Amino acid sequence: MNRRGMVAAIGGLFVAGLVSMSCLVSGSSLIAAPASPQTLASVADVDPHEGLGSKNAPIVMEVFSDFQCPACKSLYESTNRQLMDNYVNTGKVYLIHRDFPLPMHAHSKVAAQYSRAAAQIGRLEAVQEVLFQNQEKWEASGDVDGTVAKALSPAEMTKVRALVKSGAVDAFITKDQAIGNNTYRVSQTPTTIFHANGQTFPYAGVMSWDILKQFLDQLLVGK
Amino acid sequence: MQSSPLNFRRAVMWLGRLILGPIFIYAGYSKAFLPNSHFWPWFFFKFSLSTNIANFAFQVDAFKLLSPAGVQFVAHTLPFTEIVLGFLVLIGWRLRIFGTMLAAIMVGFSVVVTRAYLLHMNINCGCFATPQPIDLQKVLEDAGMALLAVLMASFAIIEARKPHPWSAPAETGAAPAVPAAK
Repeated sequence: MNRRGMVAAIGGLFVAGLVSMSCLVSGSSLIAAPASPQTLASVADVDPHEGLGSKNAPIVMEVFSDFQCPACKSLYESTNRQLMDNYVNTGKVYLIHRDFPLPMHAHSKVAAQYSRAAAQIGRLEAVQEVLFQNQEKWEASGDVDGTVAKALSPAEMTKVRALVKSGAVDAFITKDQAIGNNTYRVSQTPTTIFHANGQTFPYAGVMSWDILKQFLDQLLVGK
Repeated sequence: MQSSPLNFRRAVMWLGRLILGPIFIYAGYSKAFLPNSHFWPWFFFKFSLSTNIANFAFQVDAFKLLSPAGVQFVAHTLPFTEIVLGFLVLIGWRLRIFGTMLAAIMVGFSVVVTRAYLLHMNINCGCFATPQPIDLQKVLEDAGMALLAVLMASFAIIEARKPHPWSAPAETGAAPAVPAAK
């Protein structure tokens, strides 16, 4: 074997080694998956105010999200409406929102507090939508309160402000962050944890609706 | 005296191949196959690959340089181009051609990252799967690698014009010895 051939063989072995290493180290070990949950009851610490859909759905999706994260906004805008209409409202998916405000985003913790407080009074979806739609504005101005007020009535806003001010929702956010850090080792947002067929599949980053739809359909077929 | 085959230019070429080749392979691999790396069954692999490419497209779009079609083109081709180029440069096959291509890409990266830094864009570099902010260190790293790539490609072109020191015949003034006829 000449020198070039030997180098080619070594290079090929190197690349093959990379690929095989990835096959052994599956994605689920990059973000540690818990023992396979069989039902929603097995998913840790679900705040019922943050869950949407039927609790008996065959697929559970936990979405770790930061309201100030552009990728989370992209995921929400590209998938949320269709996901709600075609899978959550039809009992195929139980969707859980997990707050995971990142330290580099100055106002994401406040946004999470307002969202959590809105969830307590059953207005989670409206506040999520207004926060993501106006992300650039409140990110620059810091006016989360004014942004949320656009989606709620004055009476609702009074309740939300009281909940935020009392700190009653902080424990929920802290718990979500602990689950993200300790159970799933979430390192970026958005991160979506799929629970289906007794297994857990973490996926980090954005995804298009077409690809997500195909994946959900395959998971449903696999049950 | 014959010159050493390991002159400065060849040393730089070797350094370039050994440093830039694996970096490019890993950069392409991490963009396409990380952080989501479920390879079986097939629909899991498709979903993993698609989400990783979508993530990379999002990072490319954050630079605000390309149209949506351009972003998708880069996101779908660059990772695999990096893997192939990195491998070809590592083994040194047709180094003039593929080294030049790698250098062009590296210079492009450096320019784009420097632009983002000067515009104070608070975005992810998009170089590897792990989020990396664009700071002065990243700018200097990319500039250094771009310089190495350019030198490697330039020296490969220069060295290709000369015969390899091991193959060059020794030149002397004396006529070759002829064995005496019997």
